[in-house]
Amino acid sequence: MGSSAKKKKEKKKDFQKAKLKVGKTQAKPANYTDTSFKAKAIVLTQQSLSANAPTVAAQCAHHLSMLTHKSDTQRKESLAYLTTAISSSPSGQPLPQPPAVILPAVQRLILDGSNGVRQQLLRLLQALPAGEIANHSDQLLLHTRAGMTHLASDIRVFALDILEWLLGVAGGEVVSCAGGWVKMLKCFLGLLGWQNETAGKWSVTRPFGKAGGDTKVQVKQMMALATFLRAGLLPLQTAIDPAVGGNSFPLWQTEHHLLSERSNVYAHLNLFGAPRDEEAEMYEDREDRQRVFHVRAESAITAGLEQATKGGGELGRAAAQLRRVVKDGMADFHGEQGMIH
Amino acid sequence: MGKRKVGALEKVDADLASLQYRCRRDPQSYRDDFQRQYDQYKTYLELFLQNPSSTDDNSLISLREQIDFVAHVADSYPSITATFPDDLIKLLGHHEELEHETREKIVGSLVLLRNKDVITSELLLRTLFPILIATTSKALRQLLFSKVISDLRTSNSKSTNHRLNKTIQTVLHNLLTEDRSSPKGIWAVKITREMWKRQIWTDAKAVEIMKEAALADNEKVIAGGVRFFLGGDKEREEAAEESSDEDDGVDMGKLRHQAGINKKTKKKERELKKAAATVKKKEKKKTAPHALNFSALHLLHDPQGFAETLFSKHVQNSKSKLTLDTKILVLQLVSRLVGLHRLTVISLYSWFLKYLTPRQQSVTAFLACLAQSTHNLVPPDVLEPLIQKIANEFVSEGSASEVCAAGLNSIREICVRQPLAMNDTLLQDLVDYRKSKDKGVQFAARGLLSLYREVGAELLKRRDRGKDAAMGLRSGAHQERRFGEEEVGEIEGIELLEKWKEEERRKKRIEAGLPADAPTDEDEEEGNESDDWNNWDVASDDSDSSTGWIDVDPEGEEINISDSEDEKERPAKKAKLDNEVLDAKKENKGKSEEPTEARKISKLASTRILTPADLAKLQELRLASNITANMPSQKRRQALAARHADDPLTAAEIEAPGLLGKRNTKEEKIAMAKADHENDHRSTTARRKEKKQAEGKSTTNKEKARKKNFLMTLGKAKGKQKRSLVDVRKTLRGHLDRQKRGGKRGNR
Repeated sequence: MGSSAKKKKEKKKDFQKAKLKVGKTQAKPANYTDTSFKAKAIVLTQQSLSANAPTVAAQCAHHLSMLTHKSDTQRKESLAYLTTAISSSPSGQPLPQPPAVILPAVQRLILDGSNGVRQQLLRLLQALPAGEIANHSDQLLLHTRAGMTHLASDIRVFALDILEWLLGVAGGEVVSCAGGWVKMLKCFLGLLGWQNETAGKWSVTRPFGKAGGDTKVQVKQMMALATFLRAGLLPLQTAIDPAVGGNSFPLWQTEHHLLSERSNVYAHLNLFGAPRDEEAEMYEDREDRQRVFHVRAESAITAGLEQATKGGGELGRAAAQLRRVVKDGMADFHGEQGMIH
Repeated sequence: MGKRKVGALEKVDADLASLQYRCRRDPQSYRDDFQRQYDQYKTYLELFLQNPSSTDDNSLISLREQIDFVAHVADSYPSITATFPDDLIKLLGHHEELEHETREKIVGSLVLLRNKDVITSELLLRTLFPILIATTSKALRQLLFSKVISDLRTSNSKSTNHRLNKTIQTVLHNLLTEDRSSPKGIWAVKITREMWKRQIWTDAKAVEIMKEAALADNEKVIAGGVRFFLGGDKEREEAAEESSDEDDGVDMGKLRHQAGINKKTKKKERELKKAAATVKKKEKKKTAPHALNFSALHLLHDPQGFAETLFSKHVQNSKSKLTLDTKILVLQLVSRLVGLHRLTVISLYSWFLKYLTPRQQSVTAFLACLAQSTHNLVPPDVLEPLIQKIANEFVSEGSASEVCAAGLNSIREICVRQPLAMNDTLLQDLVDYRKSKDKGVQFAARGLLSLYREVGAELLKRRDRGKDAAMGLRSGAHQERRFGEEEVGEIEGIELLEKWKEEERRKKRIEAGLPADAPTDEDEEEGNESDDWNNWDVASDDSDSSTGWIDVDPEGEEINISDSEDEKERPAKKAKLDNEVLDAKKENKGKSEEPTEARKISKLASTRILTPADLAKLQELRLASNITANMPSQKRRQALAARHADDPLTAAEIEAPGLLGKRNTKEEKIAMAKADHENDHRSTTARRKEKKQAEGKSTTNKEKARKKNFLMTLGKAKGKQKRSLVDVRKTLRGHLDRQKRGGKRGNR
């Protein structure tokens, strides 16, 4: 094949160089593409010429949307902007964006991978007015719990910070919201490794609690648990306003018959959601919480505390604190018998 | 939005893959870690259920990764993950809003759980199937369909899972029957067809599903159902063939050769043994009789009712809005049913009358359907007007030759099935077309003529009858079959065998010194009998595989030959088209050869069990006696008898004689010549060479010499001057010789 002169020539043709000639334009290569174009007019796109800067509210909205940005720094800066905008707004005025908008946007960042972002988030949350948090506590708690069980340890630790802040701001709502009590208790027991092994095989002897866990983290966890239990088990110190009960003479205790000021008052009826099991149930009453605590967690915590006390040091001190909380909280609990009398 | 890039440090901490690995290795030790992850998953799930359409692309670990992780280790922690499958199923309920990756992950996880036996097949299919028919996403549908099919296959792979099959079939059946007009039924059709093709469902229930599909109101579903009946069995056969000759794989000869040459190690030996074993297994599989599968048309309940409903609902009904193509499909099915089961749907024939004009679109399909729906129990007076109409509309000097040929051929096809539908004047008219100038018309008319020479010679003119038929008529052997008359079934040539046996017995008795014709006494009879049993098998040289006994695999398809309620018509698959007419003629011929001998029905077959040896002898005798077997008419008849009753008559067959006389144009000829090597620019020699090489044949010595490396030949090449005189003479002679021949590889 390819032996004839014609074929040889044909083959050669592909590789022949075009000769350059003086005074002539250079020949275009075979793969040349003509990219020139003609236009009758050139139109510049409109530029915004407004003289006044965007309002703070608009800026905040912009920064809220930037919270999903892929760059850590951008997210952090947006959070910082929001923090300053909130803290610098005058006390009587409403916030540039209502918390109902801010909170759903920022709560996902509890699980953010970057430490800086998370710290900034905590600052932002602390800047928010405390009264507004209560209505969103269940959502926040969900994210917090997701953080507490996260695979990354620093997110787990950070979630405890969030929890402490949340308990400080809206302790009552947290412990009484749906799934807020039992699931959190379970979560804590899981974190501390204090699960009482019921289905354990007889041949496997497992150490109770973590063998070589980080003491610092454990102390922190125990402190958070103590705060949590305090919020849930100790009676609320709400000073009853004497003015309310007293001086509306013909009507007595009207406040009990009025609609509550809380949002979603009938949440405990669970009219529209999926049916709840024991874990997801709302425990709004302190006695209910005590009962459930007694059944589900008390023995495990007591056992765990013993272990921790033996450890001594910082761990022991934290354990002692936790024990006091448990003792105080369960002081007026008489068990099932007590309930019957 | 793309996934956020995860930094290396974060990765180390949040590595689900490594945790998964560890959990699989040592479930007990990592129980706590798993528990934490499971809690995490639960929380995520709760978060997700609050707002299913949200995407959690930005978080370090997404819900779908958690799901993936839990699904992979779920079988190690059954107590913890007890609710996991239910969660997934619930989550999949939101399939409309779910992100597509998450959706696919959930489906994959459910299938994984099924494979790990965490959930049952039934639960899985009950979950996936409703979504399959409800979803609007094409990708998800595809995924679900493949998963459903593969799950059905795997759960039927070891042994038939009757319970699962029954449940799914019921689900499909309900889907079709509860809303006949919805297009969702197409999924039932698709799944059933796939299962049928893979021979997983071969029972009457699957056919029942398709029957419902064919009676649906949605056009697509109807077409799907009808196509299944028309082509499902062929598809199944093809699939079976494909899978059987898919992997011939190892070349044992080559391996053995290599083992002889290469270094002998234990490993090589083992490999060789293994290869031999696989080859043997494959061989065994190939020779094993394939499971007996009845065709869908035979598994139908109540074909009469089905055909009637199909016809009145989709074809005859003026309100049905099917397109012509679909209508023809349905018509094909109806006519096949009528022809195959010999049903009586009288209104069908009069309906055809309207469509038998040459201008009708795809009229050959109608003609084929008409011929197909004819059988020997159709009243001839119903068919007569139809034949008359075809003759009037198609067969005339004025019409185009293709039209004329198609008309004649379709008349012939009808008359093959019901010869009584023809009258003598029309036949004589039609037969005269054999003198037409067009080849196609000639052939078609000749076909009709030769048909009637066999089945109804008295209708022909005296000079057209031919020798055989004329002699038969004169001797009275040719008797017209009456309407509804059936042939008596018998084994062909059994009387020959009986005669041969008698002779053998006589010979034996003579050898033993007994009178040849004395009645046999009991013990001798016994002896004969035992001899027969000893000679059970045919001698190996004259046995072919078809006469040997076939072991039916007990694991395989169950063969139901009981006359149970649901399979009433005992399917005789691939029953040869019993062309009684032709057989009758054969019988008659036998009579004419020995007219004096009174025919009596041989009792041999009803009193003895014929051994394979007997059957072989029978075949031999048949061949020896039947000298006429090699005559062309006989051959034609054999070809016709070889046609299976299941095979449809197609429009192409009707058109075939019309194409005979057709001349190709130059362009067509060139295109046809070029077609086989359009993209292949090599010479014929090169192609042949390659073909030879592919067949594993070696090259000639000449070829080898030509290909030999030049340096290797150098030593042998002598200088021209040093050659001996003899050599020089040889060369010169050779040169002269070549000159005469015209070159080295001259054109001898």
